[in-house]
Amino acid sequence: MTRYKFNTYVMRFFVYLLLVLILLVSIAPIWILVVNATRSTVEIQQGVGFLPSTHLIENYNILVSKGINLVRGFSNSLILSVSMTLVTVYFSLLTAYGIVVYDFPGKKLFYNMILVLVMIPMQLSIIGFYQYMSKLGLTDSYAALILPCIASAGSVFFAKQYLESVLIHELIDAARIDGCSELGIFHRVMLPIASPGAFTMGIFAFVASWNNFFNPFILISSMEKYTLPMLVQTLRGDVYRTEYGSIYLGLAITIVPIIIIYALFSRYIVNGIAMGAMKE
Amino acid sequence: MRHFRIPRNYYGYFFIAPFIIAFLIFGLYPVYNTIYLSFTDATLMTAKVNFIGLKNFERLFADNFFVTAVKNTWLIWILNFIPQLGIAMLISFWFTDLRLKIKGVGVWRALFFLPNLLMPAAVASLFFSLFSYFGPANQILVRLGFLPAAIEYLQNETITRGLVVFIQWWMWFGQTIIILMAGMTSIPVTLYEAAMVDGASAIQMFRRITLPLLKPIMVYIFVTSLIGGMQMFDIPYLLTDGRGSPSSSILTNNILMYMKFSSSKGHIGAASSVGVLIFIMTCVCSLAIFYLLRDKDK
Repeated sequence: MTRYKFNTYVMRFFVYLLLVLILLVSIAPIWILVVNATRSTVEIQQGVGFLPSTHLIENYNILVSKGINLVRGFSNSLILSVSMTLVTVYFSLLTAYGIVVYDFPGKKLFYNMILVLVMIPMQLSIIGFYQYMSKLGLTDSYAALILPCIASAGSVFFAKQYLESVLIHELIDAARIDGCSELGIFHRVMLPIASPGAFTMGIFAFVASWNNFFNPFILISSMEKYTLPMLVQTLRGDVYRTEYGSIYLGLAITIVPIIIIYALFSRYIVNGIAMGAMKE
Repeated sequence: MRHFRIPRNYYGYFFIAPFIIAFLIFGLYPVYNTIYLSFTDATLMTAKVNFIGLKNFERLFADNFFVTAVKNTWLIWILNFIPQLGIAMLISFWFTDLRLKIKGVGVWRALFFLPNLLMPAAVASLFFSLFSYFGPANQILVRLGFLPAAIEYLQNETITRGLVVFIQWWMWFGQTIIILMAGMTSIPVTLYEAAMVDGASAIQMFRRITLPLLKPIMVYIFVTSLIGGMQMFDIPYLLTDGRGSPSSSILTNNILMYMKFSSSKGHIGAASSVGVLIFIMTCVCSLAIFYLLRDKDK
């Protein structure tokens, strides 16, 4: 074996070793979470286990009996996230389409403004937003969370990049010749073509809104409207709350949907991140 | 019937109209409102609002909590960012190295990215449980003999900060890897081949080819990480008691803002001034990064 080959093998060995170590550290918390969700409190207190057990149903019953209405929190989160995702994706595509297809005065200015908007941290707007919503009487409502999604600068940015690479102007012209209205072209020509990108945007928007704790936390005050992240606050195992099994199960329920979505669509998500970063 | 023909290109206005309207209502006005509020003593309890100029800001600079919050936020972000970039760079380098030919890169990447998608609220609660007195961390460490007795992790400032740093690192290094790899794979292989012909070593190639060409991507990573780091809320808030315990070691900017907002009187004037200051700080630092890392040769 040549020196070069030997060195390469040694390097590869160490690289794989390090990768496995990092992977174990990375996955361990999630693994323990899922495993503990299936073990009973007694088993958990006895020691750490890395294999699942059989107390899933029992833990679920305890969880429900504690009065933490995870089902309602789950459906609240679902309704809210789906609405926000649909609104974000549709209007971002609409806006990006306007930028890409039409050349109107002030277009560059508008687009540059959007780039600047992306950089505004939310601290600058959230307090003013809350007071404004409370004056309008819109606090404790999902509308206050959903409507702002119409103007989602980051998504418009992504959509514009994507549409530029995917739209074929001749197709649009052909549709015009056939008598299609401009809005009709958007719905019938553009949307089908852009669906992979729209799907990627949708996944990102969904995950972001599903996991979002701060905004609903500030705005929502009635318990029936609590989203999952807000309910999760109550799921902490310590000296005062000792139903460890059900706590881990509660946490797992909030996390597992995303893991499933990810397992199915990881390709889209990973490509989407790369696309968003490479704008040159 | 006479139709008024709108020039085709002006249709663009119709398409961007919803965005503009929604932005003016939900984006611009709140920002204006926050800035306005930061100059008042508004609270959620009283209807009367007085304009008090820069008083809020003066009070903030004199406030120990504010100084602590800013210090903590920066400290936690820096401690998280440097290893994150370093390790992600190392792993990206290995994944794109043609010599090493690591198998299953897509799978590794997907697994490393997974923590990014988890709900920070749930992650914080999870780590709270894992590191509670009777939790798995103590169980493992004591039974394996690493620790003589169980300890209260979340009452130790350094450990609590370390946990926040670890969680942030854990959740974001996968995304950094994806972005870095996207940048690295866009560098033409021919550059490396030419360098190899000229006898360059791997380290030289990294320093002279990879790093300079990755600069735009690194600026992007730097700035987005900074903006995100300054807004850190979920993890520090939910890991302990929401006030940054122990002894305010993980009190961050946003937690302070929230504390003022949710205090018994609801000092939204003071909370807004925190927000404005954080914005200015973030802006200045982002611009500094852009300036320092700009392309110096034209």
